[in-house]
Amino acid sequence: MSARITPRATLHGVPIHAMLVPFPIVCFIGALLTDIAYANTANVQWTNFSQWLLAFGTLFAGIAAVFGAIDFFFGSRAKGSGGGDRPLIGWIHMIANLVLFVVALFNNFVHARDGWTSVVPTGLTLSIITVLLLFVSGHLGGRLAYVHVVRRDER
Amino acid sequence: MSPRLLAAAGLAALALAGCSKQIIDPSRQIGSNPFLPEPKQFLFPPMGIANIVGWKAGQMPTVPAGFTIAPFASDLAGPRRVLGLPNGDVLVVESGGPGLEGINRPKDIIYGMVLGASHAAKPPANDLLLLRDTDGDGKADQKVVLASKLDSPFGIVVQGGHLYVAETGDILRWDFTPGQTSLGQPTRLTDLPKGTIDHHWTKDLTISPDGSKLYAGVGSNSNIVENGLEAEEGRAAIWEIHPEDGAKHLFATGLRNPNGLTFNPTTGELWTVVNERDELGNDLVPDYMTHVQRGAHYGWPWSYYGQHVDKRVKPENPAMVKKAIPPDYALSSHVAALGLVFENGSAFPAQYKGGAFVGEHGSWDREKPNGYQVAFVPFTNGRPSGKAQTFVGGFTDKDFTVRGRPVGLGFDAKGALLIADDGGGVIWRVTPKVAAAPPKPAG
Repeated sequence: MSARITPRATLHGVPIHAMLVPFPIVCFIGALLTDIAYANTANVQWTNFSQWLLAFGTLFAGIAAVFGAIDFFFGSRAKGSGGGDRPLIGWIHMIANLVLFVVALFNNFVHARDGWTSVVPTGLTLSIITVLLLFVSGHLGGRLAYVHVVRRDER
Repeated sequence: MSPRLLAAAGLAALALAGCSKQIIDPSRQIGSNPFLPEPKQFLFPPMGIANIVGWKAGQMPTVPAGFTIAPFASDLAGPRRVLGLPNGDVLVVESGGPGLEGINRPKDIIYGMVLGASHAAKPPANDLLLLRDTDGDGKADQKVVLASKLDSPFGIVVQGGHLYVAETGDILRWDFTPGQTSLGQPTRLTDLPKGTIDHHWTKDLTISPDGSKLYAGVGSNSNIVENGLEAEEGRAAIWEIHPEDGAKHLFATGLRNPNGLTFNPTTGELWTVVNERDELGNDLVPDYMTHVQRGAHYGWPWSYYGQHVDKRVKPENPAMVKKAIPPDYALSSHVAALGLVFENGSAFPAQYKGGAFVGEHGSWDREKPNGYQVAFVPFTNGRPSGKAQTFVGGFTDKDFTVRGRPVGLGFDAKGALLIADDGGGVIWRVTPKVAAAPPKPAG
């Protein structure tokens, strides 16, 4: 049995990582939707939307990652299971998110092109990959939170 | 983070992105049949940003043997257009952009910092100046502000008792006879497309030799319609305007950013230099000069150099691509040609007769500098007849240490070439050491 983690970066007992992750999730899913809208209309407002969503999504993903890493590497593992290895799905969650972050970062630069090729085909493809990775890492993150993280009332 | 540091970081990111790019010799893209590589797209487009250091005392641009160059006027605030009058006076337009472009994309913030890092020592004024050399020593000793706080003025024409100035949003007309040192109230002849973005804001102006029609160049409102096609109404075009009542209509279209409008004295045809689109690579798309045919379409935005389709533009428009005609003469990529003047009865030697001088402001969307010179293109019977060559150089080093940036050109009444240098804040005057022919007033 792997360890249960007690988050270290918290605000009134709520992990800061958990408070931040909705931002990139919403932004990246939103960017996929606005990419689809642009691919169907060629109306520049949609690629402009995508560019802001990607920029804010990537920024908040980076900040969330910092707090997630603090909890994962420096969170106390003494309580609950009394130490031991960090959970395997935590590692997978982290690696999936690192890949996601790099893909999204590249997608920002692709989207910075002018006109149609800001989205079609490369930008849209990267947006789809980002959202697929979100499902994987989001599910793993959920399992971490509900199975492997020591909740406040347990501390 | 300082803008310059950010520019450096941007260039480092470019290197990291690993977009290794071949860069071709610009001479392969000069002439009527330029080499056009395949278009490329980037994570970070190639860039080289001018670090404008200005001219130190005694520093001069270089000129060919047999010529001398000297500052006619210096310490100016963004001189961009220069016009020699028959009485020897020189009109100069100092101008800067209206700064209307908002931040629509995260990219606009980055570009604003990177490109904004490049600026002359003096911020541009928006004034119309009259310079006068009273003692004939080749240096202006009187400077009069004829009009100030204009709305990003650019093109100037003096003809038939009138002075016309193209501001970015209209054309103003004053009663004016050379010799005058003050102006009355202007008439607003007509408006020009300005709007709320005004990306390419320089509106150049010329008049037909018979004085019957004005021609105004209106640049596109974007690099490649990233502000939407609806923002391009009446733009990337040359307008024909009646000088009496201001009635106007489109004369030619598809010219991304036409400047240096001038009539070829040999053929009586309208010529222009055009800045082509960016972010397709170091060596695309060549800027060009061409004579402008009435009703012709030159491609922008749908195609470049004739019918090379630009995939960045949606919806496609095969009908307009089919209509697009190639320009006459490529000047190579990203030189930013902004000035054009034909030799016409100047004091220059025989090989320059009837040829074209081109003011090349200099590149940013290219890793190595291109332009940053006054080029000369020989002409025979009103058509380009040889390779462009550097006529006035020394404006930049290979590392983008930039002393000056040529824009507008003109001949003065003594047949010397005048160059407006907005980077150095100087009007340069180039004279042949021995006048080949008795100088005639510039046409």
